[in-house]
Amino acid sequence: MEMIARTRSDLEKAQTRAGYLFILPSSVLYAVFVLAPVIVTFILSFTYYDPMAGSHWVGLENFQRFFTGDRSLQIFGNTLCFSLFAVTGNVVVGLMLALALNRAMPAFLLYLFRLAYFLPVIIAAAFVSIVWGYFYGDDLGVINYYLVHLGLPSVHWLTSSQTAMMSIVIMDVWKNTGFFMIIFIAALQGVPRNIMDAAIMDGSSYWRRFFRIVLPWISPVVFFAIVYASIGALQVYESIVILTRGGPGDATRSMSIYIVEEAFDNFEIGYAASISVIMTLVILVITTLQLFASRRWVRH
Amino acid sequence: MQTKSAQRWIDRIIIAIMAVLGVFMVLPFAWLFSMSFRAPGEAYKMPPSFLPPNLDFRNYSAVLHSSVPFLQIYWNSLMVAVVVTIGQLITCTLAAFAFARLTFPGRDSIFFIFLIGLMFPAQVTIIPIYLGFARVGLLNHPIGLAMMYLTSSFGIFLVRQFMRSQPKALEEAALMDGAGYFKIFYRISLPQLRPALSALGIITFTQTWNYYFQARVLLEPQPAMTLPIAMDLLRGYMASGNLSVVMAAMSMAVLPVILIFLLAQKLVIEGVTMSGIKS
Repeated sequence: MEMIARTRSDLEKAQTRAGYLFILPSSVLYAVFVLAPVIVTFILSFTYYDPMAGSHWVGLENFQRFFTGDRSLQIFGNTLCFSLFAVTGNVVVGLMLALALNRAMPAFLLYLFRLAYFLPVIIAAAFVSIVWGYFYGDDLGVINYYLVHLGLPSVHWLTSSQTAMMSIVIMDVWKNTGFFMIIFIAALQGVPRNIMDAAIMDGSSYWRRFFRIVLPWISPVVFFAIVYASIGALQVYESIVILTRGGPGDATRSMSIYIVEEAFDNFEIGYAASISVIMTLVILVITTLQLFASRRWVRH
Repeated sequence: MQTKSAQRWIDRIIIAIMAVLGVFMVLPFAWLFSMSFRAPGEAYKMPPSFLPPNLDFRNYSAVLHSSVPFLQIYWNSLMVAVVVTIGQLITCTLAAFAFARLTFPGRDSIFFIFLIGLMFPAQVTIIPIYLGFARVGLLNHPIGLAMMYLTSSFGIFLVRQFMRSQPKALEEAALMDGAGYFKIFYRISLPQLRPALSALGIITFTQTWNYYFQARVLLEPQPAMTLPIAMDLLRGYMASGNLSVVMAAMSMAVLPVILIFLLAQKLVIEGVTMSGIKS
């Protein structure tokens, strides 16, 4: 009896030791490159950082500066506006594409479709933005060439503050919607066949079936898609840097661009840190909201 | 009967529409490859071409002989992506084994702390990392960028989920025979993880290949750059006349990712979508 007890506790000890040993590399790296920097950023956001003259505590001043400055508020607004349109576009178009592909078709066609629609997802925004930059050109742009050819007026895609943000949204939807299409296809295939068949027998229309059965069934995935898209959109950086450099004026400047400029061009470390904290908090709020919302009314 | 044939027509029309849209999805890539073969003087000739006029590699050699150290930059990108991929395959698998198969105090809370990491954008870690790298001399070294990503919460999560779906009878039997945990991990668990590891490897490689924000902050001088930042620089250097040369550089930059995608479409799509479906 004692023998067994001892081997069991030995086994537990060995397992504990092995467990900590196995997670050691990841834990050290994670602590150094994620946890510690996040904590330091939070602390920095309450300070005025000056390595020469000495940093000092400024309380909420950095945050106050962000929420009272005209320029920072415009940039905040730009980011939210971009996110709203990009998320809506990506999710709605992705869902429509998924519905279109969710029907009987030859396997090779499906393969080609997935290839075509998913290709932009895996290519860096930094690369495709350069291509789109030439498409969007005013005089030498490919899109305007065809518009003029068709007798339509050419558009100042990137050079007018009214249209620049929408042009970036369009490219973003082109680039990312394939991702959402794929997760929606997977979700649609999970909708139970027998419920759908019964609804068809009852003679309910396609759209009625969609809103009454399909959409509620896949709503957890829709929620997830919205959150996932929002987290990505709030961080938007390279597509804007490459297409407009934040211009014209500040019309397309996003929080990420602002953080980099303040931190590494103006060396306003504390202020820049507060902006990244605000971005993180927005992400946190959206994620938590989704968690609660999906618990409450998903799949009744 | 009639509704059935009507349904068939609807299917056909929708598939046709999807085909047209699909062509638009790949058009920018067709344009960029075709452009890379056009003589520089004809770059802006309209109408634009979406098929290569002829296979003329002069633009490609122009990239290699330009003032931008393209080969060095390409090597940087490759090095960072390979180091990060191998690093994550090792660290994530080890940690995932512990979280999926072993019991030890604090296991679930530690795992939860790792999961929280999924919510932090690069923007909230970059400033301290920049300051720290500046202090220890890692700034402007591609290896610094690689070090940041040697483990990932997502990778740990992905492998752990996969491992939990596998039977553990063999592992238990080996334990009874007195095998050590590392031996069990190496001999029994690891070989079963092949699908999860190839998915993780592919996602990690493409993701790292595409990093822009972090690279732009941490790697300033040209010889330290990675491809995504260098491409923006090249565009500025060669400005209007040499669009074809920029597109030749771009073709080389997107080639590895496109090749991986063509060879392993299913794995890439599954992997990338898995990277989403975690909550």
